[in-house]
Amino acid sequence: MATTKTRQDEQQKTGQRLPGDELKRALYLLKLCRYFDERMEALYRQGRLPGAIYSGRGQEGTHIGVVLPLRPEDSLFPTHRDLSAQIAKGLDLKRIMAQFWGRIDGYTRGRDGNSHIGDWYGNKTWTVMSHLPIAYPVACGAALAYKRRGESNVAMAICGDGSTSNGRWHESLNMSAIAKLPVVWVVNNNLYAYSTPNPLEFPVPTIAERAAAYKMPGVRVDGADVLAVEAAAREAVERARSGGGPTLIESVSLRWKGHAGHDPAKYVPKELLEEYMRDKDPVKNFERYVLSEGVVSEQEVADIQARIEKEFDEGYEFAQASPFPEPEDHAKGLWVEDGYWTSEPGRGGGTEAS
Amino acid sequence: MSKTETTRPDELQAGAAGHGAEPRGKRTEDGQATYLVAIAEALWEEMERDERVYMLGEDIGVYGGAFKVTEGFYERFGGDRVMDTPIAEETIVGMAIGSAMEGFRPIAEFQYADFMSSGFDMISTALARVHYRSGVPLPVVLRGPSGGMVRASSFHSINPEPWFSYAGGIKVIAPAFPADAKGLMKSAIRDDNPVMFLEHKWIYRRIREQVPEDPDFLIPISVADVKREGDDVSIVTYGAMVHRALEAAQTLEAEGISAEIVDLRTVYPMDEETVLRSIEKTSRALVLSESYRFVGIAAEVASTIAEKAFEHLDAPVVRLSPPNVPVPFSPTLEDAFLPGVGDIVAEVKKLSAW
Repeated sequence: MATTKTRQDEQQKTGQRLPGDELKRALYLLKLCRYFDERMEALYRQGRLPGAIYSGRGQEGTHIGVVLPLRPEDSLFPTHRDLSAQIAKGLDLKRIMAQFWGRIDGYTRGRDGNSHIGDWYGNKTWTVMSHLPIAYPVACGAALAYKRRGESNVAMAICGDGSTSNGRWHESLNMSAIAKLPVVWVVNNNLYAYSTPNPLEFPVPTIAERAAAYKMPGVRVDGADVLAVEAAAREAVERARSGGGPTLIESVSLRWKGHAGHDPAKYVPKELLEEYMRDKDPVKNFERYVLSEGVVSEQEVADIQARIEKEFDEGYEFAQASPFPEPEDHAKGLWVEDGYWTSEPGRGGGTEAS
Repeated sequence: MSKTETTRPDELQAGAAGHGAEPRGKRTEDGQATYLVAIAEALWEEMERDERVYMLGEDIGVYGGAFKVTEGFYERFGGDRVMDTPIAEETIVGMAIGSAMEGFRPIAEFQYADFMSSGFDMISTALARVHYRSGVPLPVVLRGPSGGMVRASSFHSINPEPWFSYAGGIKVIAPAFPADAKGLMKSAIRDDNPVMFLEHKWIYRRIREQVPEDPDFLIPISVADVKREGDDVSIVTYGAMVHRALEAAQTLEAEGISAEIVDLRTVYPMDEETVLRSIEKTSRALVLSESYRFVGIAAEVASTIAEKAFEHLDAPVVRLSPPNVPVPFSPTLEDAFLPGVGDIVAEVKKLSAW
């Protein structure tokens, strides 16, 4: 069978426990991202959501875990799979949903949709592009800027296992190691590049060990264990911040859904999917953990869930009420000097799609 | 295994100690500058003027660049601002993008414009689209020697301007004269948008003229220039073909035909107004380019004239451009491939016979 399995003994166990409010925040983010993903898929299947969706379900442990150690001024270069990481970095649910419905209040003002999203001037996230890992070399540039200015910021880039077959993935690791750039390379290994399984993507047992070729630390973590991911990311972020250069983190999970909303992912063996959904659900595992540790009560979990559902509904309403971009603005914003991005956009596009 | 040196020897780490250093390329005693010297002066002055400006590329530092445009820069500005990179074009462009997002103003050198295609995705997908989708300006200059006429064959003679003009979001400049090159390079570096600056390698050391020394001497982007006034036929062209057109115009003059030569200087976005004004005057248009005939720059100019100046035309708009085949090496082949002075004269004569 063409899969790589994680083992319990490969897990990176966190040495120190996060403060209670951080754990509660992690729980909120995990549950929010899961709920968002499920509700958006439902709306997509009902034909109520235009465009595409790229579910990150089952990988929330990676997405939330790697972002937790980041500061607001650190930059994040994710992919379309990593909307949960962008939510963890601070993007607003209302504006995210406006983006999904192509509205003017979306982060790209309707110039792109779904998780091809970003908020550079707010939460320091790259506006996602499809050609992966296109943001890896860009992250090198941001990290270079921090280093040149003597700042302690770090750049973190995320890609999938599929991206590691691409030339610029290697170019970027190589460059970052040569220039000792403050960057953290995250590979969200969800076992499949669209339909292609790990053994057809790379000949080595793990992606993490490829770090040796670039003389940087490489670590493999269980993406179902958000605290293990967080610990690995924290170490990498601190290394980058203190001038120790780049780190490669491979976080292993399974993509529960297809590549995009249209893909039933029949190429994933049923038993494997069942195993991951049963034993390696990062959201359920973490919820069980914080309950058992007494970090939260059952009531608090219920309250968090209620808050999430309310936020989703508010986001949905906000998106539906936000106008479409004005059609005559379709060519604006290409050049800086047209002023489109430094002025308020027209809001006369109405709320009815053509 | 021998220890790998990761830094340059101390005597080459000149940087701040390099005050008083100067570019190798010098003006002649009467103050004339070659195209290459004019470009080096522009780069030097803008590096002096704005410390956010820095250069990256292959062999641009200690070696001074494949064509020696940046010779002397490393000694003056140091390795941080004249950054030698591995042979990794995608990462060169990506780093330029990322550092520009963080406030730097990078200038990336390609040893030959041909190798821009090795960074094609980062240029056409990333560099060209970031601002339209996210409102983040990218003040990036990509520069490199383009064009043929020097027996450099298929991989060192390309005219890539149609590829990158098509991308949208990148201004593409291809000057023919030293003063234009200097003024346009300074404008390109000060522009907040991505700019591709194509330096014709045949012109580098062959064409010299008086070039202004004013550090704020700027030629505006997207403004064409009439290099020769005439009444009978307009030759609309750019780059090295301007020089062939000027030579042809002398021959034609002797035969009683007065040719006007419009040098586009910037091919995208194109200055339609200057082109159309010339057609209104002469009523005949020869569009001459070194880029290929099919989907080349000449096709765009010709269709613009046909569409917007139809009532002024006394003859069909004629293109003179090479066929869409790789640039051949052998002198007989390359000369036949490129539009020659004789070809220009013949086409203009045919046009004036209408």
